[in-house]
Amino acid sequence: MAVSLRLPSLTLTNLFSSPSSLPILRRRRPHGTLLRPPPLAASFSSQRAEAASAQTQDKSKSSKGSDQVITPRSQDFNAWYLDLIANAELADYGPVRGTMVIRPYGYAIWESIQDYLNVKFKETGHSNMYFPQFIPYSFIEKEASHVEGFSPELALVTIGGGKELEEKLVVRPTSETIVNHMFTKWIQSYRDLPLLINQWANVTRWEMRTKPFVRTLEFLWQEGHTAHATPEEAENEAIQMIDIYTKFAYEQAAIPVIAGRKSKVETFAGANKTYTIEAMMGDRKALQAGTSHNLGQNFSRAFGTQFLDETGQMQHVWQTSWAISTRFVGGIIMTHGDDAGLMLPPKLAPIQVVIVPIWKKDEEKVAVLNAASSVKEVLHTAGIKVKLDDSEQRTPGWKFNFWEMKGVPLRIEIGPRDVSSESVVISRRDVPGKQGKVFGISMEPSILVAFVKDKLYEIQSSLLERAIAFRDSNIVDVNSYDDLKVAISQGKWARGPWSATNEHELKVKEETGATIRCFPFEQPEGIKKCFMTGDPAEEVAIFAKSY
Amino acid sequence: MAGSEAKNSGSKQSGAKKKEVKKETGLGLTNRKADNFGEWYSEVVVNSEMIEYYDISGCYILRPWAMAIWEIMQGFFDPEIKKMKIKNCYFPLFVSPGVLEKEKEHVEGFAPEVAWVTKSGKTDLEIPIAIRPTSETVMYPYYSKWIRGHRDLPLKLNQWCNVVRWEFSNPTPFIRSREFLWQEGHTAFATKEEADVEVLEILELYRRIYEEFLAVPVIKGKKSEMEKFAGGLYTTSVEAFIPNTGRGVQGATSHCLGQNFAKMFEINFENEKGEKAMVWQNSWAYSTRTIGVMVMVHGDDKGLVLPPKVASVQVIVIPVPYKDADTQGIIDACTATVNTLCEAGIRAESDFRDNYSPGWKYSHWEMKGVPLRIEIGPKDLAKKQARAARRDNGAKIDIANDNLVDEVKKLLDTVQQNLFDVAKQKRDECIEVVHTWDEFVQALNQRKMILAPWCDEEV
Repeated sequence: MAVSLRLPSLTLTNLFSSPSSLPILRRRRPHGTLLRPPPLAASFSSQRAEAASAQTQDKSKSSKGSDQVITPRSQDFNAWYLDLIANAELADYGPVRGTMVIRPYGYAIWESIQDYLNVKFKETGHSNMYFPQFIPYSFIEKEASHVEGFSPELALVTIGGGKELEEKLVVRPTSETIVNHMFTKWIQSYRDLPLLINQWANVTRWEMRTKPFVRTLEFLWQEGHTAHATPEEAENEAIQMIDIYTKFAYEQAAIPVIAGRKSKVETFAGANKTYTIEAMMGDRKALQAGTSHNLGQNFSRAFGTQFLDETGQMQHVWQTSWAISTRFVGGIIMTHGDDAGLMLPPKLAPIQVVIVPIWKKDEEKVAVLNAASSVKEVLHTAGIKVKLDDSEQRTPGWKFNFWEMKGVPLRIEIGPRDVSSESVVISRRDVPGKQGKVFGISMEPSILVAFVKDKLYEIQSSLLERAIAFRDSNIVDVNSYDDLKVAISQGKWARGPWSATNEHELKVKEETGATIRCFPFEQPEGIKKCFMTGDPAEEVAIFAKSY
Repeated sequence: MAGSEAKNSGSKQSGAKKKEVKKETGLGLTNRKADNFGEWYSEVVVNSEMIEYYDISGCYILRPWAMAIWEIMQGFFDPEIKKMKIKNCYFPLFVSPGVLEKEKEHVEGFAPEVAWVTKSGKTDLEIPIAIRPTSETVMYPYYSKWIRGHRDLPLKLNQWCNVVRWEFSNPTPFIRSREFLWQEGHTAFATKEEADVEVLEILELYRRIYEEFLAVPVIKGKKSEMEKFAGGLYTTSVEAFIPNTGRGVQGATSHCLGQNFAKMFEINFENEKGEKAMVWQNSWAYSTRTIGVMVMVHGDDKGLVLPPKVASVQVIVIPVPYKDADTQGIIDACTATVNTLCEAGIRAESDFRDNYSPGWKYSHWEMKGVPLRIEIGPKDLAKKQARAARRDNGAKIDIANDNLVDEVKKLLDTVQQNLFDVAKQKRDECIEVVHTWDEFVQALNQRKMILAPWCDEEV
């Protein structure tokens, strides 16, 4: 079986190695080159200075406020993205080039993703465990001929405890080699199968070009690894996991991903099949948001992972692996965010409702704050994630902007008049201006809670609907290569019947910058003709420029 | 099905049904806790399927059986600190050397243990990069950046992550490994008083983890000047004791860093009077070492002994078929038992594997430390009852089906309490109060924990 065993990178290698036009982080880079970590004292103070000059607001909270402006998306999508991340306090730049500090607000989004997926993994019989971060270089070298994509990206430890190490250690870029090493030890008979494990961990890939959440030197992810007795089981598992990811994207993140199978060119040589979920970002580029691989027996043959089957024959196991990472947070930002900032789907929002008390005169303050507190209690008791912003040194206007920037789905305003009428004003983050505002909602708990829950549900659906509409209006069905070129040049996705060769595929990439994102699971009926060759085609493929 | 991760079944088996295996065959420990503690410990952690050794010395694989314990503790600790308004975040693994060196004493304490990344792919890095041994130096430059005024305080962050300390002293799974998992909390306050309060609040949470979850008695206290955290003001800790070796084990630490790091990293703020002031900081952590302490305290010569509160499987239900007796009926009864217990929130599983005898299963699950075993055979079926066996003291109790949930709950609580009581008694027996140096040396040689007046002067 002459399959070259490139280590599957599970979600991200493909994008790392593809030289897509990824803008380098210019705005915040301290003096120094891309490769060298910046000089220390300089790095932070220069980051501070640069940040201060680069932004209309500096890092200090006191000057943030109604002048908190981010670059409009239409003007410079990448600058918008970086501004948003800074202003919504999602992340900061790490001291070592390309690393990222995930601030509490950003981390809380990752935690909601973790909480949901962890439950799903357990429900489907997987157990969490933890493999060491260091891989002996010899393990990787075992696969050296197949790891061309990885070796320039490997971080190597050569000194430990003041001494040169006997063997170089690799900081894991992904855990296949260790996992398979252990699988070989743990699997002897069919009774040991299926083996279903997962780990939540950090991985390191020494990237040249980085972008917070989307591509960082070190990122957090989960990587599932399973071993099965039959190819059918492995295939079912791979599909089951991509289904779980799809459902998660739609139902929790309100992101209408297109699930499908990667083309041979885009599949990792270590896998028989790669399944992916592709999301359309606000700039219409595609983001590979999660992958699931059917690894067949590629790794079991390389590592000698065998089992005695029920008939007494030795066989190689059939494996899968699948992963989602902190890149998904970048996907949420770029799918729903707008010029006012982040927009979070209620199901993943760390704060679902923010209460802003408003008063002009001192005598009004106590009543307003009391009312605000009790509204907070009511919502909190009902299981809603609510925050009361009662800080006194910020104006209500400032708070409106701040919490909109942070993407909180609902805002409740309480002023003196609301106190007397025992009602509140509720504003939706996803509908700007007067249209999104409702006055006179009763403070009476049952009414208020029902209204809030209802609105959150509406926002969740509305975000999804909007994303679906945006996605669908930016996918063009093409029947010729020329049509595809037009669509891609307009920044859209192209979908058309495809049965051409790998060479054709690479030609499209060279000439248009677009790659096959996937052959979607959902296929149109009818007889199709490949738009490139005119030959009969069984499936349509989706082409797009991507991250 | 019991155990979703494959078990290490030792020798390869044929597909044919395994013959009745005697309890002793291949499943017992070869070392005894009282005789060779070190070897006993290594055997237990491997045979109970918690740890797998790895090709890199001092690094271990945490298998699901161990990971579940870690996750249960997390499930307690994380909500507790969230209640204290401490927020989770994630800082990078990598530290640049200059930043690492900022706090001189700190670096003296940790530098010898740091692992360095010197190459990326084939290229040498211009400046090598360190892997975090602890994250003070990674995080505090950001504290300096983010804290401007008193309204930015308190700043309370925590992260769950892995750290690397390249030690050369005896690596021991869980207890001392080169990479381990932990949580590290880092907080900054406007006043020392606030910091002092939190140090103890956290220490109390650590005590609860040990005493309420792991059933391990600990002593709270303050470290000596020599033993305190490198670069900090004072360190408090919970200390456990292993009677078999006469050795103390630092269970978890809660440090007040004072203003030392604030000085080095320029973490200042404008206080309410408009003056520039330095913050007061704490840092606190507990790690996977907790699991090792639990193993050492409760384990016995049959293997691991898990306190019910942290056991991923609290009750294992085993069918005991007999010749032509109603085997299906027994299996059905087992399934029903598991379902009833699970519905009541008890973590119960069954072991229906037909290639292992009941006796083999008893030994296996005892090795894995499951607190309670329930056996159902034809006689139990007839009497509408089940036989329970406690892992901690071997006691056997018959439970009527009608009282299943209540009895099991009571038993689990009793086992939990008993494990703690026994451990506490053994520990207390080891404490000796001394007043002279000679008494001290003698007691130490007898593997005692010593309580003695100490002036803590630097000599």
